[in-house]
Amino acid sequence: MKITKQDLKNISLLSKIKIDDKTSSTLIQDLESILTMVNKMEELETAEINPLTHPIESTQTLREDIEKKDIEREKFQELSKEKDSGFYLTPKVIE
Amino acid sequence: MSELINLSLTDQVLGLGDKSFSSKEITGAYLNEIKKKESLNCFISVFEEESEEKALIADENIAKNKARPLEGIPIAHKDIFCIKDKKTTCGSKMLSNFISPYSSEVFSKLDTAGAITLGKTNMDEFAMGSSNETSFYGNVLNPINEKLSPGGSSGGSAAAVRANLCSFATATDTGGSIRQPASFCGVTGIKPTYGRVSRWGMIAFASSLDQAGIIAKNAKDAAIALKYMSGFDQKDSTSLNEEVKDLQKEVDADQEHVIGIPKGLIENIKNDQVRDSFKNAISILEKDGAKIKEINLPHIEYSLPAYYVIAPAECSANLARYDGIRFGHRSESVSSLEDLYVNSRTEGFGKEVKNRIFIGTFCLSAGYYDAFYNKALKIRNLIKSDFDEAFKKVSSIAMPTCSNSSFELGSISDPVEMYEQDIYTIPANLAGLPALSIPSGTADEMPIGLQLIGNYLEEGRILNLANKFQKLTDFHEFK
Repeated sequence: MKITKQDLKNISLLSKIKIDDKTSSTLIQDLESILTMVNKMEELETAEINPLTHPIESTQTLREDIEKKDIEREKFQELSKEKDSGFYLTPKVIE
Repeated sequence: MSELINLSLTDQVLGLGDKSFSSKEITGAYLNEIKKKESLNCFISVFEEESEEKALIADENIAKNKARPLEGIPIAHKDIFCIKDKKTTCGSKMLSNFISPYSSEVFSKLDTAGAITLGKTNMDEFAMGSSNETSFYGNVLNPINEKLSPGGSSGGSAAAVRANLCSFATATDTGGSIRQPASFCGVTGIKPTYGRVSRWGMIAFASSLDQAGIIAKNAKDAAIALKYMSGFDQKDSTSLNEEVKDLQKEVDADQEHVIGIPKGLIENIKNDQVRDSFKNAISILEKDGAKIKEINLPHIEYSLPAYYVIAPAECSANLARYDGIRFGHRSESVSSLEDLYVNSRTEGFGKEVKNRIFIGTFCLSAGYYDAFYNKALKIRNLIKSDFDEAFKKVSSIAMPTCSNSSFELGSISDPVEMYEQDIYTIPANLAGLPALSIPSGTADEMPIGLQLIGNYLEEGRILNLANKFQKLTDFHEFK
Protein backbone atom coordinates (compact mmCIF):
# COMPACT_ATOMS: atom_id res chain seq x y z
CA MET A 1 0.00 0.00 0.00
CA LYS A 2 1.41 3.38 -1.03
CA ILE A 3 1.05 6.52 1.05
CA THR A 4 1.42 9.77 -0.87
CA LYS A 5 2.47 13.21 0.34
CA GLN A 6 -1.17 14.24 -0.19
CA ASP A 7 -2.33 11.36 2.10
CA LEU A 8 0.08 12.68 4.77
CA LYS A 9 -1.38 16.18 4.39
CA ASN A 10 -4.91 14.83 4.84
CA ILE A 11 -3.93 12.74 7.87
CA SER A 12 -2.15 15.71 9.42
CA LEU A 13 -5.18 17.94 8.87
CA LEU A 14 -7.66 15.44 10.30
CA SER A 15 -5.56 14.47 13.32
CA LYS A 16 -4.48 18.05 14.08
CA ILE A 17 -0.84 17.02 14.35
CA LYS A 18 1.94 18.65 12.33
CA ILE A 19 4.12 16.45 10.13
CA ASP A 20 7.42 18.14 9.34
CA ASP A 21 9.23 17.60 6.07
CA LYS A 22 12.31 16.15 7.78
CA THR A 23 10.40 13.17 9.21
CA SER A 24 7.85 12.66 6.44
CA SER A 25 9.86 10.11 4.45
CA THR A 26 10.49 7.91 7.54
CA LEU A 27 6.84 8.32 8.47
CA ILE A 28 5.70 7.22 4.99
CA GLN A 29 7.99 4.19 5.31
CA ASP A 30 6.55 3.31 8.77
CA LEU A 31 2.93 3.78 7.72
CA GLU A 32 3.42 1.78 4.53
CA SER A 33 5.02 -1.08 6.40
CA ILE A 34 2.13 -1.13 8.92
CA LEU A 35 -0.51 -0.98 6.17
CA THR A 36 1.24 -3.77 4.23
CA MET A 37 1.00 -5.96 7.34
CA VAL A 38 -2.65 -4.93 7.77
CA ASN A 39 -3.42 -5.81 4.14
CA LYS A 40 -3.24 -9.51 5.03
CA MET A 41 -6.90 -9.06 5.99
CA GLU A 42 -7.69 -9.06 2.26
CA GLU A 43 -7.07 -12.81 2.13
CA LEU A 44 -10.33 -13.42 3.99
CA GLU A 45 -13.76 -13.29 2.39
CA THR A 46 -15.98 -11.48 4.91
CA ALA A 47 -19.00 -10.28 2.89
CA GLU A 48 -21.43 -12.38 4.96
CA ILE A 49 -19.87 -11.64 8.36
CA ASN A 50 -21.23 -9.04 10.77
CA PRO A 51 -18.79 -6.55 12.23
CA LEU A 52 -18.13 -6.98 15.96
CA THR A 53 -17.51 -3.66 17.68
CA HIS A 54 -17.50 -5.01 21.19
CA PRO A 55 -16.32 -8.33 22.62
CA ILE A 56 -19.01 -8.81 25.25
CA GLU A 57 -22.67 -9.12 24.36
CA SER A 58 -24.45 -7.26 27.08
CA THR A 59 -26.88 -4.40 27.21
CA GLN A 60 -25.64 -1.19 28.70
CA THR A 61 -27.00 -0.49 32.13
CA LEU A 62 -28.48 2.86 33.02
CA ARG A 63 -27.98 4.50 36.37
CA GLU A 64 -30.93 5.73 38.37
CA ASP A 65 -31.69 9.36 37.67
CA ILE A 66 -30.41 10.78 40.95
CA GLU A 67 -28.69 14.14 41.29
CA LYS A 68 -25.10 13.74 42.45
CA LYS A 69 -22.26 16.20 42.94
CA ASP A 70 -19.40 13.90 41.84
CA ILE A 71 -17.94 16.36 39.37
CA GLU A 72 -16.53 19.48 40.93
CA ARG A 73 -16.34 22.02 38.11
CA GLU A 74 -13.90 24.33 39.87
CA LYS A 75 -11.53 21.45 40.61
CA PHE A 76 -11.62 20.28 36.99
CA GLN A 77 -11.09 23.81 35.71
CA GLU A 78 -8.01 24.24 37.88
CA LEU A 79 -6.31 21.97 35.35
CA SER A 80 -6.66 24.50 32.56
CA LYS A 81 -3.99 27.15 32.05
CA GLU A 82 -6.49 29.68 30.70
CA LYS A 83 -9.94 30.14 32.25
CA ASP A 84 -12.18 32.93 33.46
CA SER A 85 -15.50 33.03 35.37
CA GLY A 86 -16.16 29.33 34.81
CA PHE A 87 -15.25 29.46 31.11
CA TYR A 88 -12.28 27.97 29.29
CA LEU A 89 -10.36 30.53 27.25
CA THR A 90 -8.97 29.98 23.75
CA PRO A 91 -7.40 32.38 21.25
CA LYS A 92 -9.95 34.62 19.52
CA VAL A 93 -12.20 32.76 17.08
CA ILE A 94 -14.19 35.74 15.75
CA GLU A 95 -12.47 39.05 15.04
CA MET B 1 13.97 -6.08 57.08
CA SER B 2 15.01 -6.90 53.53
CA GLU B 3 13.63 -10.44 53.89
CA LEU B 4 10.10 -9.01 54.21
CA ILE B 5 10.14 -7.77 50.62
CA ASN B 6 11.01 -11.24 49.37
CA LEU B 7 7.81 -12.68 50.82
CA SER B 8 4.80 -13.43 48.66
CA LEU B 9 1.60 -11.43 49.13
CA THR B 10 0.05 -14.54 50.67
CA ASP B 11 2.79 -14.69 53.34
CA GLN B 12 2.73 -10.92 53.87
CA VAL B 13 -1.03 -11.03 54.62
CA LEU B 14 -0.46 -13.90 57.07
CA GLY B 15 2.55 -12.22 58.72
CA LEU B 16 0.77 -8.89 59.18
CA GLY B 17 -2.28 -10.72 60.54
CA ASP B 18 -0.36 -12.68 63.18
CA LYS B 19 1.78 -9.60 63.92
CA SER B 20 5.08 -11.29 62.96
CA PHE B 21 5.94 -7.91 61.45
CA SER B 22 4.25 -4.55 61.00
CA SER B 23 3.10 -2.59 57.96
CA LYS B 24 5.52 0.14 59.05
CA GLU B 25 8.40 -2.33 58.73
CA ILE B 26 7.35 -3.76 55.39
CA THR B 27 6.48 -0.35 53.90
CA GLY B 28 9.82 1.05 55.08
CA ALA B 29 11.64 -1.91 53.57
CA TYR B 30 10.01 -1.37 50.17
CA LEU B 31 10.67 2.39 50.24
CA ASN B 32 14.36 1.70 50.96
CA GLU B 33 14.53 -0.77 48.11
CA ILE B 34 12.85 1.71 45.74
CA LYS B 35 15.56 4.29 46.60
CA LYS B 36 18.31 1.71 46.23
CA LYS B 37 17.06 0.66 42.80
CA GLU B 38 16.09 4.10 41.51
CA SER B 39 18.25 3.57 38.41
CA LEU B 40 15.80 0.91 37.16
CA ASN B 41 13.39 3.84 36.56
CA CYS B 42 10.37 1.75 37.60
CA PHE B 43 8.50 4.64 39.22
CA ILE B 44 7.26 7.98 37.90
CA SER B 45 6.05 9.06 41.37
CA VAL B 46 6.78 7.73 44.87
CA PHE B 47 4.57 8.70 47.84
CA GLU B 48 7.05 8.21 50.67
CA GLU B 49 5.53 10.22 53.52
CA GLU B 50 1.96 9.27 52.73
CA SER B 51 2.86 5.57 52.58
CA GLU B 52 4.56 5.78 55.96
CA GLU B 53 1.54 7.54 57.47
CA LYS B 54 -0.86 4.97 55.99
CA ALA B 55 1.30 2.14 57.33
CA LEU B 56 0.89 3.49 60.88
CA ILE B 57 -2.90 3.61 60.42
CA ALA B 58 -2.82 0.05 59.04
CA ASP B 59 -0.88 -1.14 62.08
CA GLU B 60 -3.47 0.51 64.37
CA ASN B 61 -6.28 -1.24 62.49
CA ILE B 62 -4.49 -4.57 62.80
CA ALA B 63 -3.92 -4.00 66.55
CA LYS B 64 -7.62 -3.26 67.01
CA ASN B 65 -8.55 -6.40 65.01
CA LYS B 66 -10.17 -4.17 62.40
CA ALA B 67 -7.89 -5.19 59.53
CA ARG B 68 -9.29 -5.08 56.01
CA PRO B 69 -8.33 -7.88 53.54
CA LEU B 70 -5.19 -6.14 52.21
CA GLU B 71 -4.52 -4.03 55.29
CA GLY B 72 -1.02 -2.57 55.23
CA ILE B 73 0.12 -4.29 52.00
CA PRO B 74 2.37 -1.95 49.96
CA ILE B 75 1.52 -1.95 46.26
CA ALA B 76 2.17 0.13 43.12
CA HIS B 77 -0.22 1.42 40.47
CA LYS B 78 0.58 1.81 36.79
CA ASP B 79 0.58 5.54 36.05
CA ILE B 80 -2.49 5.10 33.86
CA PHE B 81 -4.81 4.93 36.89
CA CYS B 82 -6.04 8.30 38.16
CA ILE B 83 -5.54 8.97 41.86
CA LYS B 84 -7.20 12.07 43.26
CA ASP B 85 -4.78 14.97 43.81
CA LYS B 86 -1.88 12.96 42.41
CA LYS B 87 0.02 13.41 39.17
CA THR B 88 -1.20 10.90 36.56
CA THR B 89 0.99 11.12 33.47
CA CYS B 90 0.25 7.99 31.42
CA GLY B 91 3.95 8.16 30.51
CA SER B 92 3.32 11.22 28.33
CA LYS B 93 4.50 14.81 28.10
CA MET B 94 0.85 15.56 27.29
CA LEU B 95 -0.17 14.72 30.87
CA SER B 96 3.07 15.58 32.66
CA ASN B 97 1.21 18.39 34.49
CA PHE B 98 -2.06 16.52 35.07
CA ILE B 99 -3.15 16.30 38.71
CA SER B 100 -6.19 14.08 38.71
CA PRO B 101 -9.35 15.59 40.23
CA TYR B 102 -10.80 12.11 40.90
CA SER B 103 -9.72 8.53 41.57
CA SER B 104 -10.00 5.47 39.36
CA GLU B 105 -12.22 2.63 40.59
CA VAL B 106 -9.18 0.31 40.57
CA PHE B 107 -7.36 2.58 43.02
CA SER B 108 -10.47 3.12 45.16
CA LYS B 109 -11.20 -0.61 45.46
CA LEU B 110 -7.66 -1.56 46.48
CA ASP B 111 -7.42 1.47 48.77
CA THR B 112 -10.69 0.46 50.44
CA ALA B 113 -9.30 -3.07 50.83
CA GLY B 114 -6.45 -1.53 52.88
CA ALA B 115 -3.56 -1.59 50.38
CA ILE B 116 -0.94 1.18 50.62
CA THR B 117 0.05 2.90 47.38
CA LEU B 118 3.84 3.31 47.34
CA GLY B 119 3.85 5.09 44.00
CA LYS B 120 2.99 5.00 40.32
CA THR B 121 4.91 2.95 37.80
CA ASN B 122 6.50 3.93 34.52
CA MET B 123 4.94 2.80 31.25
CA ASP B 124 5.00 3.23 27.49
CA GLU B 125 3.29 6.50 26.50
CA PHE B 126 -0.49 6.04 26.65
CA ALA B 127 0.19 2.28 26.94
CA MET B 128 1.40 2.17 23.32
CA GLY B 129 4.58 0.14 23.13
CA SER B 130 6.09 -3.26 23.81
CA SER B 131 9.49 -2.25 25.17
CA ASN B 132 8.88 0.68 27.54
CA GLU B 133 10.96 2.86 25.25
CA THR B 134 8.10 5.20 24.30
CA SER B 135 7.77 6.60 27.85
CA PHE B 136 8.35 10.35 28.14
CA TYR B 137 10.16 9.52 31.40
CA GLY B 138 12.72 7.22 29.78
CA ASN B 139 12.57 3.45 29.63
CA VAL B 140 12.56 1.06 32.59
CA LEU B 141 15.47 -1.40 32.81
CA ASN B 142 14.85 -5.13 33.12
CA PRO B 143 15.97 -6.01 36.68
CA ILE B 144 17.34 -9.38 35.52
CA ASN B 145 19.61 -7.86 32.88
CA GLU B 146 19.68 -4.08 32.73
CA LYS B 147 20.71 -3.97 29.07
CA LEU B 148 17.39 -5.57 28.15
CA SER B 149 13.84 -4.32 27.90
CA PRO B 150 11.34 -5.08 30.67
CA GLY B 151 8.64 -5.31 27.98
CA GLY B 152 5.69 -3.01 27.67
CA SER B 153 3.55 -1.24 28.13
CA SER B 154 3.32 -2.20 31.83
CA GLY B 155 7.12 -2.55 32.04
CA GLY B 156 7.37 -0.46 35.21
CA SER B 157 4.86 -2.66 37.03
CA ALA B 158 6.50 -5.93 35.91
CA ALA B 159 10.01 -4.70 36.74
CA ALA B 160 8.86 -3.33 40.13
CA VAL B 161 7.43 -6.72 41.11
CA ARG B 162 10.52 -8.55 39.85
CA ALA B 163 12.89 -6.16 41.68
CA ASN B 164 10.92 -6.57 44.95
CA LEU B 165 9.81 -2.93 45.00
CA CYS B 166 6.17 -3.71 45.86
CA SER B 167 4.03 -6.63 46.88
CA PHE B 168 2.08 -6.54 43.61
CA ALA B 169 1.29 -3.93 40.97
CA THR B 170 -1.71 -2.97 38.90
CA ALA B 171 -1.31 -2.90 35.13
CA THR B 172 -3.35 -2.70 31.93
CA ASP B 173 -3.50 -4.84 28.83
CA THR B 174 -4.86 -3.71 25.44
CA GLY B 175 -2.92 -6.15 23.25
CA GLY B 176 -0.53 -7.87 25.67
CA SER B 177 0.71 -5.06 27.92
CA ILE B 178 0.41 -7.16 31.10
CA ARG B 179 1.42 -10.56 29.76
CA GLN B 180 4.45 -9.64 27.60
CA PRO B 181 6.28 -7.67 30.35
CA ALA B 182 5.33 -10.40 32.86
CA SER B 183 6.97 -12.90 30.51
CA PHE B 184 10.11 -10.71 30.04
CA CYS B 185 10.54 -10.14 33.80
CA GLY B 186 9.71 -13.67 34.96
CA VAL B 187 6.60 -12.74 36.93
CA THR B 188 2.90 -13.65 36.80
CA GLY B 189 0.46 -11.33 35.03
CA ILE B 190 -3.26 -11.64 34.45
CA LYS B 191 -5.64 -9.71 32.19
CA PRO B 192 -9.17 -10.60 33.29
CA THR B 193 -12.30 -10.80 31.12
CA TYR B 194 -13.17 -7.51 29.43
CA GLY B 195 -15.57 -5.72 31.79
CA ARG B 196 -14.53 -7.65 34.93
CA VAL B 197 -12.56 -4.68 36.28
CA SER B 198 -13.88 -1.14 35.98
CA ARG B 199 -12.22 1.19 33.46
CA TRP B 200 -13.45 4.28 35.36
CA GLY B 201 -10.47 6.59 35.84
CA MET B 202 -8.17 4.42 33.73
CA ILE B 203 -6.84 6.59 30.90
CA ALA B 204 -8.25 5.28 27.62
CA PHE B 205 -6.20 3.94 24.72
CA ALA B 206 -8.59 1.59 22.83
CA SER B 207 -11.79 1.32 24.83
CA SER B 208 -13.12 -1.99 23.48
CA LEU B 209 -9.78 -3.70 24.22
CA ASP B 210 -8.37 -2.01 27.36
CA GLN B 211 -8.61 -4.03 30.55
CA ALA B 212 -6.96 -3.60 33.95
CA GLY B 213 -5.24 -6.49 35.68
CA ILE B 214 -2.48 -7.55 38.03
CA ILE B 215 1.21 -8.33 37.97
CA ALA B 216 2.32 -10.40 40.98
CA LYS B 217 4.96 -12.89 42.10
CA ASN B 218 2.76 -15.94 41.54
CA ALA B 219 -0.75 -17.08 40.60
CA LYS B 220 -1.97 -17.27 44.20
CA ASP B 221 -0.96 -13.67 44.85
CA ALA B 222 -2.54 -12.56 41.56
CA ALA B 223 -5.80 -14.30 42.56
CA ILE B 224 -5.95 -12.45 45.88
CA ALA B 225 -5.18 -9.07 44.32
CA LEU B 226 -7.61 -9.54 41.43
CA LYS B 227 -10.41 -10.58 43.78
CA TYR B 228 -10.31 -7.17 45.49
CA MET B 229 -10.01 -5.24 42.24
CA SER B 230 -12.90 -6.88 40.36
CA GLY B 231 -16.59 -6.12 40.35
CA PHE B 232 -19.46 -4.23 38.78
CA ASP B 233 -19.15 -0.47 38.58
CA GLN B 234 -22.08 1.74 37.60
CA LYS B 235 -19.66 4.40 36.42
CA ASP B 236 -18.33 2.16 33.63
CA SER B 237 -21.05 1.36 31.09
CA THR B 238 -19.15 -1.73 29.89
CA SER B 239 -18.66 -3.13 33.40
CA LEU B 240 -20.10 -6.65 33.82
CA ASN B 241 -22.84 -6.97 36.42
CA GLU B 242 -21.80 -10.50 37.37
CA GLU B 243 -20.93 -12.05 40.70
CA VAL B 244 -17.24 -11.86 41.66
CA LYS B 245 -16.07 -15.37 42.36
CA ASP B 246 -13.83 -16.13 45.33
CA LEU B 247 -10.63 -16.40 43.31
CA GLN B 248 -8.59 -16.97 46.45
CA LYS B 249 -10.57 -20.16 47.10
CA GLU B 250 -10.70 -21.21 43.45
CA VAL B 251 -6.95 -20.91 42.88
CA ASP B 252 -6.38 -23.78 45.32
CA ALA B 253 -9.51 -25.84 44.52
CA ASP B 254 -9.39 -29.37 43.12
CA GLN B 255 -10.29 -28.76 39.46
CA GLU B 256 -9.95 -30.84 36.33
CA HIS B 257 -8.50 -29.21 33.25
CA VAL B 258 -8.79 -29.80 29.52
CA ILE B 259 -6.15 -27.73 27.74
CA GLY B 260 -6.53 -26.82 24.09
CA ILE B 261 -3.50 -26.41 21.84
CA PRO B 262 -4.21 -24.64 18.55
CA LYS B 263 -3.52 -26.84 15.51
CA GLY B 264 -0.20 -25.98 13.89
CA LEU B 265 0.90 -23.76 16.79
CA ILE B 266 3.89 -25.78 17.99
CA GLU B 267 5.38 -26.30 14.49
CA ASN B 268 5.10 -22.56 13.84
CA ILE B 269 7.04 -21.45 16.93
CA LYS B 270 10.26 -20.25 15.31
CA ASN B 271 12.46 -20.00 18.41
CA ASP B 272 13.66 -23.50 19.41
CA GLN B 273 13.98 -22.62 23.08
CA VAL B 274 10.47 -21.13 23.21
CA ARG B 275 9.07 -24.21 21.45
CA ASP B 276 10.89 -26.69 23.73
CA SER B 277 9.88 -24.82 26.84
CA PHE B 278 6.24 -24.72 25.69
CA LYS B 279 6.23 -28.47 25.00
CA ASN B 280 7.86 -29.10 28.38
CA ALA B 281 5.26 -26.97 30.20
CA ILE B 282 2.41 -28.85 28.51
CA SER B 283 3.91 -32.23 29.35
CA ILE B 284 4.28 -31.17 33.02
CA LEU B 285 0.57 -30.29 33.13
CA GLU B 286 -0.37 -33.47 31.26
CA LYS B 287 1.57 -35.65 33.71
CA ASP B 288 -0.30 -33.89 36.50
CA GLY B 289 -3.62 -35.07 35.06
CA ALA B 290 -4.66 -32.34 32.62
CA LYS B 291 -6.13 -33.59 29.33
CA ILE B 292 -4.65 -32.11 26.16
CA LYS B 293 -6.78 -31.58 23.03
CA GLU B 294 -6.01 -30.11 19.66
CA ILE B 295 -8.31 -27.22 18.76
CA ASN B 296 -8.90 -25.14 15.67
CA LEU B 297 -8.44 -21.38 15.68
CA PRO B 298 -8.35 -20.88 11.89
CA HIS B 299 -8.53 -17.08 11.92
CA ILE B 300 -6.05 -16.38 14.70
CA GLU B 301 -3.31 -15.46 12.19
CA TYR B 302 -5.42 -12.43 11.24
CA SER B 303 -5.41 -11.08 14.81
CA LEU B 304 -2.36 -8.85 14.37
CA PRO B 305 -3.62 -7.04 11.23
CA ALA B 306 -7.15 -6.66 12.63
CA TYR B 307 -5.78 -5.35 15.92
CA TYR B 308 -3.54 -2.79 14.21
CA VAL B 309 -6.62 -1.28 12.60
CA ILE B 310 -9.05 -1.45 15.54
CA ALA B 311 -6.65 -0.28 18.27
CA PRO B 312 -5.29 2.75 16.33
CA ALA B 313 -8.82 3.65 15.17
CA GLU B 314 -10.09 3.72 18.76
CA CYS B 315 -6.89 5.46 19.87
CA SER B 316 -7.31 8.24 17.31
CA ALA B 317 -10.85 8.87 18.57
CA ASN B 318 -9.95 8.64 22.28
CA LEU B 319 -6.91 10.89 22.01
CA ALA B 320 -8.88 13.59 20.18
CA ARG B 321 -9.77 14.88 23.67
CA TYR B 322 -6.26 16.29 24.10
CA ASP B 323 -6.87 19.72 22.61
CA GLY B 324 -4.72 21.89 24.90
CA ILE B 325 -7.76 23.66 26.32
CA ARG B 326 -9.22 21.83 29.32
CA PHE B 327 -6.28 19.80 30.61
CA GLY B 328 -2.96 18.44 29.47
CA HIS B 329 -0.14 20.19 27.62
CA ARG B 330 -1.02 23.61 26.19
CA SER B 331 1.36 25.10 23.67
CA GLU B 332 2.72 28.57 24.44
CA SER B 333 3.28 29.52 20.80
CA VAL B 334 -0.20 30.03 19.42
CA SER B 335 -1.98 32.79 17.54
CA SER B 336 -5.21 31.01 16.59
CA LEU B 337 -7.49 28.27 17.88
CA GLU B 338 -6.20 25.93 15.15
CA ASP B 339 -2.63 26.65 16.33
CA LEU B 340 -3.65 25.81 19.88
CA TYR B 341 -4.96 22.38 18.84
CA VAL B 342 -2.16 21.55 16.43
CA ASN B 343 0.80 22.85 18.43
CA SER B 344 -0.40 21.40 21.75
CA ARG B 345 -0.88 17.96 20.18
CA THR B 346 2.32 18.09 18.10
CA GLU B 347 4.41 19.06 21.16
CA GLY B 348 2.57 16.84 23.67
CA PHE B 349 2.54 13.44 21.93
CA GLY B 350 5.58 11.26 21.24
CA LYS B 351 6.42 9.51 17.95
CA GLU B 352 4.70 6.16 18.55
CA VAL B 353 1.47 7.75 19.79
CA LYS B 354 1.44 10.02 16.73
CA ASN B 355 2.02 7.03 14.42
CA ARG B 356 -0.96 5.22 15.90
CA ILE B 357 -3.16 8.31 15.67
CA PHE B 358 -2.11 8.66 12.00
CA ILE B 359 -2.91 5.01 11.21
CA GLY B 360 -6.25 5.24 13.02
CA THR B 361 -7.15 8.50 11.31
CA PHE B 362 -6.26 7.04 7.92
CA CYS B 363 -8.28 3.83 8.49
CA LEU B 364 -11.35 5.80 9.59
CA SER B 365 -11.19 8.38 6.82
CA ALA B 366 -13.63 8.54 3.89
CA GLY B 367 -12.93 5.84 1.31
CA TYR B 368 -10.97 3.62 3.72
CA TYR B 369 -13.49 2.97 6.52
CA ASP B 370 -14.98 -0.16 4.94
CA ALA B 371 -11.73 -1.53 3.55
CA PHE B 372 -9.93 -1.26 6.88
CA TYR B 373 -12.07 -0.60 9.96
CA ASN B 374 -15.20 -2.53 9.00
CA LYS B 375 -13.13 -5.39 7.62
CA ALA B 376 -11.14 -5.61 10.88
CA LEU B 377 -14.36 -5.73 12.91
CA LYS B 378 -15.65 -8.60 10.77
CA ILE B 379 -12.40 -10.49 11.35
CA ARG B 380 -12.76 -9.78 15.06
CA ASN B 381 -16.12 -11.57 14.91
CA LEU B 382 -14.52 -14.59 13.20
CA ILE B 383 -11.79 -14.74 15.86
CA LYS B 384 -14.33 -14.54 18.70
CA SER B 385 -16.40 -17.32 17.05
CA ASP B 386 -13.27 -19.51 16.80
CA PHE B 387 -12.74 -19.15 20.55
CA ASP B 388 -16.45 -19.77 21.32
CA GLU B 389 -16.25 -23.01 19.35
CA ALA B 390 -12.98 -24.08 21.01
CA PHE B 391 -14.29 -23.50 24.53
CA LYS B 392 -17.05 -26.05 23.88
CA LYS B 393 -14.31 -28.69 24.01
CA VAL B 394 -11.67 -27.31 26.40
CA SER B 395 -11.47 -25.38 29.67
CA SER B 396 -8.39 -23.36 28.75
CA ILE B 397 -6.11 -22.71 25.79
CA ALA B 398 -2.31 -22.69 26.02
CA MET B 399 0.16 -20.74 23.89
CA PRO B 400 3.53 -19.14 24.47
CA THR B 401 3.16 -15.56 25.78
CA CYS B 402 5.73 -14.24 23.36
CA SER B 403 7.79 -15.66 20.51
CA ASN B 404 11.05 -14.59 22.20
CA SER B 405 12.57 -13.57 25.51
CA SER B 406 13.54 -9.97 26.23
CA PHE B 407 15.57 -8.06 23.66
CA GLU B 408 18.21 -5.34 23.94
CA LEU B 409 16.91 -1.83 24.49
CA GLY B 410 17.13 0.13 21.25
CA SER B 411 17.47 -2.98 19.09
CA ILE B 412 14.05 -2.89 17.37
CA SER B 413 13.34 0.12 15.16
CA ASP B 414 10.88 -1.39 12.66
CA PRO B 415 7.35 -0.76 14.01
CA VAL B 416 5.94 -4.00 12.58
CA GLU B 417 8.72 -6.05 14.19
CA MET B 418 7.81 -4.40 17.52
CA TYR B 419 4.09 -5.06 16.96
CA GLU B 420 4.85 -8.75 16.37
CA GLN B 421 5.80 -8.95 20.05
CA ASP B 422 2.08 -9.23 20.71
CA ILE B 423 1.27 -11.88 18.13
CA TYR B 424 0.18 -14.47 20.76
CA THR B 425 -1.41 -12.05 23.22
CA ILE B 426 -3.67 -9.97 20.92
CA PRO B 427 -6.30 -12.68 20.20
CA ALA B 428 -7.52 -12.71 23.84
CA ASN B 429 -8.02 -8.92 23.73
CA LEU B 430 -9.98 -9.05 20.48
CA ALA B 431 -12.28 -11.71 21.98
CA GLY B 432 -12.37 -10.09 25.46
CA LEU B 433 -11.20 -13.31 27.14
CA PRO B 434 -9.20 -13.62 30.37
CA ALA B 435 -5.55 -14.60 29.86
CA LEU B 436 -2.44 -14.85 32.00
CA SER B 437 1.28 -15.38 31.67
CA ILE B 438 3.41 -17.45 34.06
CA PRO B 439 7.14 -18.08 33.89
CA SER B 440 7.74 -21.41 32.14
CA GLY B 441 11.43 -21.54 31.30
CA THR B 442 14.20 -19.52 29.71
CA ALA B 443 15.49 -18.56 26.28
CA ASP B 444 18.93 -16.95 25.98
CA GLU B 445 19.13 -17.02 29.79
CA MET B 446 16.06 -14.79 30.16
CA PRO B 447 12.58 -15.82 31.32
CA ILE B 448 9.80 -16.74 28.93
CA GLY B 449 6.15 -17.20 29.68
CA LEU B 450 3.38 -19.73 29.21
CA GLN B 451 0.09 -18.10 28.31
CA LEU B 452 -3.20 -19.59 29.49
CA ILE B 453 -6.43 -18.23 28.00
CA GLY B 454 -9.74 -18.95 29.74
CA ASN B 455 -13.41 -18.74 28.84
CA TYR B 456 -15.43 -15.64 29.80
CA LEU B 457 -15.32 -14.92 33.56
CA GLU B 458 -13.22 -18.03 34.19
CA GLU B 459 -10.21 -16.21 35.63
CA GLY B 460 -10.35 -18.66 38.55
CA ARG B 461 -9.90 -21.66 36.29
CA ILE B 462 -6.74 -20.38 34.55
CA LEU B 463 -5.36 -19.17 37.89
CA ASN B 464 -6.02 -22.65 39.30
CA LEU B 465 -4.11 -24.23 36.40
CA ALA B 466 -1.29 -21.69 36.79
CA ASN B 467 -1.09 -22.44 40.51
CA LYS B 468 -0.88 -26.19 39.79
CA PHE B 469 2.02 -25.49 37.41
CA GLN B 470 3.76 -23.32 39.98
CA LYS B 471 3.43 -26.04 42.62
CA LEU B 472 5.25 -28.41 40.24
CA THR B 473 7.95 -26.00 39.01
CA ASP B 474 10.22 -23.25 40.31
CA PHE B 475 10.42 -21.03 37.20
CA HIS B 476 8.45 -18.33 39.09
CA GLU B 477 10.90 -18.17 41.98
CA PHE B 478 13.31 -15.23 41.93
CA LYS B 479 16.88 -16.55 41.98
